[in-house]
Amino acid sequence: MPTSVYLSNPSVTINSVDLSDQCTAATITYSVEALENTAFGSTARTYTGGLANNSVTVTLYQSYAGSETEVSIYSLVGTTTTLVLKPASGAVSSTNPSYTLATAYLESHTPINASLGELSTIDLTFTGGTLTKATS
Amino acid sequence: MYIIVSPRLGTPGDKFEPADGINVQALIDGGLISTDKPKKSSKVKEEPVEE
Repeated sequence: MPTSVYLSNPSVTINSVDLSDQCTAATITYSVEALENTAFGSTARTYTGGLANNSVTVTLYQSYAGSETEVSIYSLVGTTTTLVLKPASGAVSSTNPSYTLATAYLESHTPINASLGELSTIDLTFTGGTLTKATS
Repeated sequence: MYIIVSPRLGTPGDKFEPADGINVQALIDGGLISTDKPKKSSKVKEEPVEE
């Protein structure tokens, strides 16, 4: 029977700071670069795995209050950190796996990203690093 | 030793033990944790005795 995933309470932790209640979108891209190794005699292109090239993109509401988004993110620009994402906030299990992206680099941040009449949000992309999945 | 300031990291006042890869300086800069520097000894050096 097919099932659908409805994410209402995922967990997003950036640099040990739980920013789940400021987050509205999160995407993990788990990627290993394809290196072509097609050679004479091949009848179709073939590839082998190269370097992992992972990333996490999150959308957060901006907040300049203490312990909120801005103070948690600003000093991470130009450095590496660890992110942990889970589909739900409960304990890690096979149905609620934890994904950890370690040594992920944050290249840029938009401290002010505001439009009249709208809540300010920021989009962050953490690139590189090693992705691991835990089920217990 | 680091102390949790922000409830987003745990219970404020508890000891914070950063996992590998955590950018501790960013947490300090953001006021999310504090450093608990060891207190200096109150021992006062005695003046040297002149003979």
